[in-house]
Amino acid sequence: MKKITFIALFCVSLSAIGQSKYLTKTGSLDFEASVPSFEEVAAKNNSVTAILNTENGEFAALALVKAFRFKNALMEEHFNENYAESDKHPKATFKGKINGFKFDNLSASEGSTSVNGSLTFHGVTKELKDISMTIKLADGKIVLSGSFKVLVSDFEIEIPKIVANKLSDEVDIDFNFELAKK
Amino acid sequence: MTKKKIIIFAVILIIAAIFGYNYIYQDHRDIETETAEFSMPSSEIATLFSEDITSAEQKFLNKTIEISGIISEINTNDITIDDKAFCQFSDVITTALDKTDTIKIKGRVIGYDDLLEQVKLDQCTIIN
Repeated sequence: MKKITFIALFCVSLSAIGQSKYLTKTGSLDFEASVPSFEEVAAKNNSVTAILNTENGEFAALALVKAFRFKNALMEEHFNENYAESDKHPKATFKGKINGFKFDNLSASEGSTSVNGSLTFHGVTKELKDISMTIKLADGKIVLSGSFKVLVSDFEIEIPKIVANKLSDEVDIDFNFELAKK
Repeated sequence: MTKKKIIIFAVILIIAAIFGYNYIYQDHRDIETETAEFSMPSSEIATLFSEDITSAEQKFLNKTIEISGIISEINTNDITIDDKAFCQFSDVITTALDKTDTIKIKGRVIGYDDLLEQVKLDQCTIIN
């Protein structure tokens, strides 16, 4: 009898753990490092994995660098081979925590919040503080959306002098994750 | 004589310009028409990645591959095979498919997602 109670409780606790995770495999992450009047330097990644633990607000995202698609095929090749070095560093990851996250406080109307965490790209980890974003709970999905800026030079990416004036050191990054209950 | 030289020079310049333009604005790879370098069940590639990620990445990253298995999840733009391989399509999937169907998909390996322990492919097409 004790054993059955234990198994039953174990199952309940298992399902409780399972319910606290929201995730997506098709989150989008765009970046742009364009300089006005030169060709746009922008790429889009639509297969970012993101997981949010709704019990404590812990958030993790993983973008595969090769999944960034540029309009210009040659630019994509150069990005992969010379700048991001995606053979050596195939992943970009973010691990962090949403400030003051409470699942019960979410609503269908957009609220603003912020996240702290560390971003790893090109083998370099950088701490990011107070990235502001919007959060809402609509149709059973938690939607996180926002943007932030990073510097190319923070990630030990060398830009050859010849293209330095066509490429901004400041990179705008937009993200949008629609997390569904796992 | 000088006129001839100018014409030759102009022709060379035009040819160089055409080659230069085609180099800078070359087309993207067309994974759909490429021949797959590897063909294997989803379990095999997932095991290779989970056991030794570095050597698997060296072997598969950016390569065109065919993966077969049973559909475990299907959405408008992506199919997951056996919970082990995530295949993203560039366009909406028009073929009528259901969960538990057996399928073979061709795509480009973009890497290994260690949060979900899945191999990820993009620019996928359904082989059968």
